[in-house]
Amino acid sequence: MPSRRFDQARPFATLAIVVLVWLLLPVAVKSFLRVSFFEFEAPLEVSASYARDLQEYWGLRLHSNTDLIAAGRDMARLHAAYDNNIQQNAELRGQIERLESLLRLPSFPEYRSEPARVVRRDFSAWWQRVVIRKGKNFGIVEGSPVVFTGGVAGRVSEVRATTAIVELVSSPNVRLAAVVEGDTRPMSYQGGINPSFAPPKGNVEFMPLDIFATRTAPRRLVTSGLGGVFPPGLTIGYVVSADPSTDGLFKTGEVELDSRLSSLTEVTVLVPLEAN
Amino acid sequence: MRRHLAIFLPLLLLWWLVLQLNHYLAPWRMFVSLGGLFIAFVALQLPQRIGLIAALFAGLICDASQPVHFGFHAFLFGLATVIVQRQRPRLDRFEPTTQRTIALLANLVLFIVTALFHLRHVPAEGRLVSRFLWDLLFSELVLWAIAPWFLALQRQALELADPLAASEDRRQVD
Repeated sequence: MPSRRFDQARPFATLAIVVLVWLLLPVAVKSFLRVSFFEFEAPLEVSASYARDLQEYWGLRLHSNTDLIAAGRDMARLHAAYDNNIQQNAELRGQIERLESLLRLPSFPEYRSEPARVVRRDFSAWWQRVVIRKGKNFGIVEGSPVVFTGGVAGRVSEVRATTAIVELVSSPNVRLAAVVEGDTRPMSYQGGINPSFAPPKGNVEFMPLDIFATRTAPRRLVTSGLGGVFPPGLTIGYVVSADPSTDGLFKTGEVELDSRLSSLTEVTVLVPLEAN
Repeated sequence: MRRHLAIFLPLLLLWWLVLQLNHYLAPWRMFVSLGGLFIAFVALQLPQRIGLIAALFAGLICDASQPVHFGFHAFLFGLATVIVQRQRPRLDRFEPTTQRTIALLANLVLFIVTALFHLRHVPAEGRLVSRFLWDLLFSELVLWAIAPWFLALQRQALELADPLAASEDRRQVD
């Protein structure tokens, strides 16, 4: 009878031994195993993204010449507008540098833009991340800010040999200093719970009491530049509600993020130049 | 060697398919988790030791691509496998309907346990419940739809790689 009982418990005993051995393994060994598994999986993930690119390419090949001519015309207009912006940008940069030297202000950190294709999107209730197709091979560093056409996309949380993981700004694990456009007082932004079939959301805390925002009159939330990670003025989202917090000293609000955040195909990593 | 590949490659394929599915579901803020399908076949049809190793391997694959403690899914899959293995003498374990039902039940339990674990890291809000229910419902639907194909794939891969061992597994009495 005891032998039969042990036979029944043997799988549990085996699992218990495995767990015990796992717990006793040094952290370095576990980290090495994790990285090994990740790097083993990376080519599979990346190959799927290349296949998608090829699919898109053949899809675009089906467009008629008329479509291409129209797209070329639109591109030429955009190009002209960007040319004008580049000239203004150079002029403004010159002004900033002159003011910085006159007032002896510390200059903002410089970044190198590194565009990268999205390999995989991962939008669970607990985390929102994308994997991009550039990693250590392109000098991406952990903690670098990531932007897209709608503003802040997130920040690099892990860098591997040929890929990097970006924690999206909608993720509850992301917290950054923000200001409402036209105001200089900083507040705290944090990603929130993202319900299905609705735009991504975040929350803002420590908002001054004299700032008002409603769904009909939203306020643009931008990065403050504090902390030195994100350059100032990048759009995070729009504050659509502002209610007094429980202590009555500040307000808390809901931030509606860009809905394109969950369908990203390309992002730009701002690699700090000091890091290289 | 061929037999081990026949066990592990379908699990790798399933992991890859789940990643692709989640990639395409992201614009709707949906997330599919098919933990039950990783363990159903290995727990019901393979010898206990190999089944446990396969479940741990599948768990580690999932752990490497998610921001969880490395070994979290491996432990959950291992535990679920051991529990199913304990119950399998009472089940008609080679019957596809049984395998599908076990996969659905295991997935439900794994989903709830994982959610309870992650709840510690996010603020508890009302909309979390709706998100959780949608994800759970969709995961179960996807699993219900693809389970017959995937279980048959695992069975066929095993029979192709080593027909003798596969029939031996069928005869083996635990």
